[in-house]
Amino acid sequence: MNNHSEQKLAGKIAVITGGSSGIGLATAKRFVQEGAHVVITGRREKELKDAAALIGSNVTTVVGDVSRLDDLDQLYAVVKEKHGHIDILFANAGAGTIAPLEVATEAHFDQTFDVNVKGMFFSVQKALPLFKDGGSIILTSSVSNVLGLPGFSAYAASKAAVRNFARAWTLELKDRKIRVNSLSPGPIDTPALETTTGLTAKQAKEAAAQFATQVPMGRRGVPDEIASAVAFLASDESTYITGIDLAVDGGMAQV
Amino acid sequence: MNRLNGKTAVITGGATGIGRAAAKRFIEEGAFVFIFGRRQDALDATVADLGPHARAVKGSISDEADLDRLYAAVKAERGTLDIVFANAGTGSPLALGQITAEHIDETFDTNVKGTIFTVQKALPLMGEGGSIILTGSSAGTTGAPGFTAYSASKAAVRNLAKTWAEDLKGTGIRVNVLSPGATATELAKEALGEEGQKAYGALTPLQRMADPSEIAAAAAFLASSDSSFMTASELAVDGGLAQL
Repeated sequence: MNNHSEQKLAGKIAVITGGSSGIGLATAKRFVQEGAHVVITGRREKELKDAAALIGSNVTTVVGDVSRLDDLDQLYAVVKEKHGHIDILFANAGAGTIAPLEVATEAHFDQTFDVNVKGMFFSVQKALPLFKDGGSIILTSSVSNVLGLPGFSAYAASKAAVRNFARAWTLELKDRKIRVNSLSPGPIDTPALETTTGLTAKQAKEAAAQFATQVPMGRRGVPDEIASAVAFLASDESTYITGIDLAVDGGMAQV
Repeated sequence: MNRLNGKTAVITGGATGIGRAAAKRFIEEGAFVFIFGRRQDALDATVADLGPHARAVKGSISDEADLDRLYAAVKAERGTLDIVFANAGTGSPLALGQITAEHIDETFDTNVKGTIFTVQKALPLMGEGGSIILTGSSAGTTGAPGFTAYSASKAAVRNLAKTWAEDLKGTGIRVNVLSPGATATELAKEALGEEGQKAYGALTPLQRMADPSEIAAAAAFLASSDSSFMTASELAVDGGLAQL
């Protein structure tokens, strides 16, 4: 009989961008519980160190910004030196500030696409030389990739681009048996709503309550609920799954 | 981490193919499984193979009285129900131009009406934490030449989950669709032969058909709390067939 209670990522080397908080941090914890060694990257050194302390073991941190190609080179140089290869990439770093169409600036647009689209593109491209054939790449998209969200048009468009990366890369990487999928979280209870969107604490609270009413499950998700889905896509539990967008959104974009 | 410890599951179409693989997997993860199917010999063989945590009930999902007997058996032995894998389905080709009313009725009676009553009649036994999984198909998204009725019926199944996610709001019961692509069940292997399997496999980026155990692993994910923030979703396990 198969033993499904054993660790599903034993001995795997996983890179997680945007790994210092929220979904990235929860996923790093889950991956380590499942037996992986994780390399997490993020822009803020203190948050990254705190995350590593929370994860406890089998974690390496590299400070960096995915929109800077030099930082990505540095990240993968560390991965190469420490582990020699990559089995799993969770390309999760993203940014999204609120800006209605009429007032959005060029800087807002560029920052959103620099991180979410260009940063993701090169996070994957630069990982490929180290990637083991048969590995798994998971891209963080968003429910907004199929929804119109007022004030989030640049963000939503950037996440639609991410979903489509998974399609093309599925075909480009098929001969190496590398699976590529995107995962689209719905509203998740993470610090990002307060720290990255530009909302005040009060506005963030109101937005969170508003989001919950738009979700058939009637609540926001928690980071661990995304982490368990990422672990599924990262592991051999999903060997026949490639090119998909997995919505983990409490039904928000499904009905 | 036996994710389904103590859970009770019903799997329709459970004697063969994907349903049988899922029954095996659910039991390995700690569940008690009732399989439901039309052929007594296949049910007997599968239950013997699955061991003490499996029961078989003979019947057709297009017969409401059969479904009533299924859930009466579940209630009598287990009291409640945690997981329904509404997996039974039928599909035969009939070219446009040759389609008969009987062909449409037979396909929709099983795949749509049968799935609706499989779920409706399960609900009185289910509660918070319950998971319903409907078997869709990549054909529900892409269509499939010669399979008008089947493809349309599977598109309907995908849509059921959308309505039910809203209807089940507040109950704590989740409902999702699992859409396999070409899967190398014993039946499919026999029907397609080596060449046919290769041809179907070549349609996918992964260049092969699925093994039933790969569909079962995804069903176990949807059945377990690992997918606790998923409802109304479609999980395609199709090697990329309908995704690009």
